[in-house]
Amino acid sequence: MMQRILASTTALALALSLAACDDPGAQGATRAEQEAAVELSEFPERPYWGDTHLHTDNSVDAFGFGNRLGPEAALQFARGDEVESTTGVKAKLARPLDFLVIADHSDGLGATRRLYDAPRIGVVAMGDDTLLRWYDMMHESPEQSQRAIGEMITAAANDNLPPAMTNAEDNEENTREIWAAHLATLDKYYEPGVFTAFAGFEYTLMPDGNNLHRVVMFRDGYERTSTVLPYPGLSTEVTGLWDYMDNYERATGGKVLAIPHNSNLSNGLMFELTGPNGGPMSADYARRRAEREPVVEATQIKGDSESHPFLSPNDEFASFGDLGWDLGNLPLTARKDESMFAGEYLREALKNGLSIEQRTGANPYAFGMIGSTDSHTTLATGDEDNFFGKHTGNEPMEGRALQSQNLGTREGRFGWHYLAGGYAAVWARANTRAEIFDAMLRREVYATTGPRMVVRLFGGFGFTEEDWDGDWVRKGYSEGVPMGGNLADEGEAPVFMISALKDPDGANLDRVQIVKGWTNEDGTTGEKVYDVVWSDMDERARVGGKVPAVGDTVNRDDATYTNTIGAAELRSVWTDPDYREGQRAFYYVRVLEIPTPRWTLFDAVLYGLELPEDAMADAVAQERAYSSPIWLNPAAEPAQTVRRNMRNRPGRG
Amino acid sequence: MTLPGWTREPLVHFLAAGAAIVLLLAWQGEEVDPASRSITVTQEDRARLALQWERTMSRPPTDAELDALTERFIREEVLYREALRLGLDRDDAVLRKRLANKMDYLAGSMAETAAVSDATLQQWLDNHPERFAEDTRYSFDQRYFAGREDAESALASGDREGEAISLPAAVENERRKQVEDRFGIAFRRGLDGLEPGSDWQGPVASGFGWHLVRVRARAPGTVPPLGDIRDRVETDWRAATKDRREDEAYRVLRDAYEVTVER
Repeated sequence: MMQRILASTTALALALSLAACDDPGAQGATRAEQEAAVELSEFPERPYWGDTHLHTDNSVDAFGFGNRLGPEAALQFARGDEVESTTGVKAKLARPLDFLVIADHSDGLGATRRLYDAPRIGVVAMGDDTLLRWYDMMHESPEQSQRAIGEMITAAANDNLPPAMTNAEDNEENTREIWAAHLATLDKYYEPGVFTAFAGFEYTLMPDGNNLHRVVMFRDGYERTSTVLPYPGLSTEVTGLWDYMDNYERATGGKVLAIPHNSNLSNGLMFELTGPNGGPMSADYARRRAEREPVVEATQIKGDSESHPFLSPNDEFASFGDLGWDLGNLPLTARKDESMFAGEYLREALKNGLSIEQRTGANPYAFGMIGSTDSHTTLATGDEDNFFGKHTGNEPMEGRALQSQNLGTREGRFGWHYLAGGYAAVWARANTRAEIFDAMLRREVYATTGPRMVVRLFGGFGFTEEDWDGDWVRKGYSEGVPMGGNLADEGEAPVFMISALKDPDGANLDRVQIVKGWTNEDGTTGEKVYDVVWSDMDERARVGGKVPAVGDTVNRDDATYTNTIGAAELRSVWTDPDYREGQRAFYYVRVLEIPTPRWTLFDAVLYGLELPEDAMADAVAQERAYSSPIWLNPAAEPAQTVRRNMRNRPGRG
Repeated sequence: MTLPGWTREPLVHFLAAGAAIVLLLAWQGEEVDPASRSITVTQEDRARLALQWERTMSRPPTDAELDALTERFIREEVLYREALRLGLDRDDAVLRKRLANKMDYLAGSMAETAAVSDATLQQWLDNHPERFAEDTRYSFDQRYFAGREDAESALASGDREGEAISLPAAVENERRKQVEDRFGIAFRRGLDGLEPGSDWQGPVASGFGWHLVRVRARAPGTVPPLGDIRDRVETDWRAATKDRREDEAYRVLRDAYEVTVER
């Protein structure tokens, strides 16, 4: 039979290619030596930039959307090499990344690719009409392939994928092969001190299409990670994932964390007030969640989850990246009502976390914030002027901004609702797996919507404006805590040292704000956004309590802007004017850039498109950064997270 | 014509022969003449169908299920032969493309399997030093000014206080990427235009404003010896070789064809 010969010939070639691979164990030992030789600074001196959420052609949907670039290309691109995208466009990052987490979907890892590569008769023999139809659609044309994958996502959301795709035991052998080869590749590209490649996967939990996805990220190399397989999201519960993580750490001595994302598509489920099965949340559950999920992805291509105008009506900057995404769940099979927003946006979750802590003694939502891409093109592009699309079906091409999407095609979500994606900034002492991972554990990280502004935040009780004249970073670390840390209430108002430096190759800064959230004695919560420092403060005096808008230099005809407004750096020492003793609170920084063109405006100019009015109104935006919060806790309460933070604090041996 | 080394490897001959058979069968319709109207489903075929089912469903098929699979198999075979009889394979773009891809894959996988000598990698390293050279490293002092005039008059007057900004006043032996991350690409380019020495120079423009700069050292990146970066060189060589081998394999085949394009 033709197929049999073909299969055995390719199998032979594959077996030989695997045999030629380096011994992953020896490679791991070399990497460990190199990692140990990397010099650590006394305290974090610079943020490291990365993407914790990148898909390659090993992801079922990415492959189905037409992506034919694998993890190796992803690593090459992220570290600064030129690669050719699936659609044949040469691509190279002007500013390479420092680290990358490849997070392909654990469900059906490599399955679409296997389905696609299978001889048709083999698919026929499986006797599943749906599978066969998808197979044929995938081979017919890129458009049909994208439709097939749209159907797959819907089927996954409704939990009725063909059994052949979900049967973990059947797929195990294949998955193990792909996973092991992938882990060896990561070790190969890991250059301690220069470029860090992390193992990870996406846990795609999605009951009824409500997005409860997590990126799972490992601290370790092949030797440890190859002892497990990526944990499936379909037909499991998140506590099962946490068990899996516990078991991994116990069995290997390694470390692993989970990063929830797209809470904005969870229809209220991501940050529930209740426990997993509807009852009140227990302290154990809350503690476990905080321990396992120290960081949340606040912003990415599928929208921004920091805040929503419904929850924060007094915050005129709350709506960034909400449009379209706030209509419903991920595939838009269920619409959203307003009562769901509270379980979706990070600021509200941080507030509710305080309230739960007040009741139970543990805060489930004491998380830091990062941004990432969730790109499915194998290319980690987070900037407005290099947006390579959510997936291969919308890589740069005419009209992509106006296309309807697979995620809610007839329901009002369009290409222009996509953001260009964000990045994770990590304050670490060196560019190694251990240092970056540990910084994420202690939440010394922040999110940006793409620009690489440098944001410092220290909380304490004795900072003054004079500190800027000396070594203020050292003082920040020695007399206070950095972002992600905890302060114990000492009966006086906390003081924050905040510095925001613009992206050296980007736009000036409009303003720096502190977002404060707190809980009242009765368990209700409150929030306030303070304008702390802004550009041209003399000319821009507050009007009715509000700082006037910075202005807008964007030329809509050629997608340019000028740095004639805004500031290169904004910094301030800020004391909470509304401090109340004994009140639980958090403080995080939001930095706003001056208005700049979004990718949609670049597209409109490049392709000579006329955007519809609503898309045009959204084609210019103020990009931003969100720091992780600093928490203020009642004095006599050394929470578990506090202890961990102290232990891991850099510069203290 | 001189054939590249890989074409002389027995393995290549084997794989090429395998691929040729595959192609041949694909076009000729297996062991049977497409015109033949006799189909025999052997015990082996049935066993294979049963095994495929079992792998998917984790249990053997019942007799009825196996019969259904067999019927489906026969149906496929009948339609397949009829399709070949009608010559549908000849203008099926999908089939054509898939088989062509498989050929590329076979050729490309040679690069994966070949063990590579140090001499080959050394040659590769020598031919592409720019891919493996370390970044240029910079050591410099800088003073920041928001306005160009202020920077220029400070340079003239010798007053080198500068204005406050959260950038390091002294940079020691940092890689180009680190300098670009902190100061931006424009500044790094400006830096490259200055001669190292003990004088203050500038102002150099950056995204922040203007900088007086004293470049203490600029060390061009050296190419590490092969022993230190063998992994990287091998990875790069394999990636590049895969593409080249696909091309070469194609050219060998292509040369055997006489192609006329009518215009």
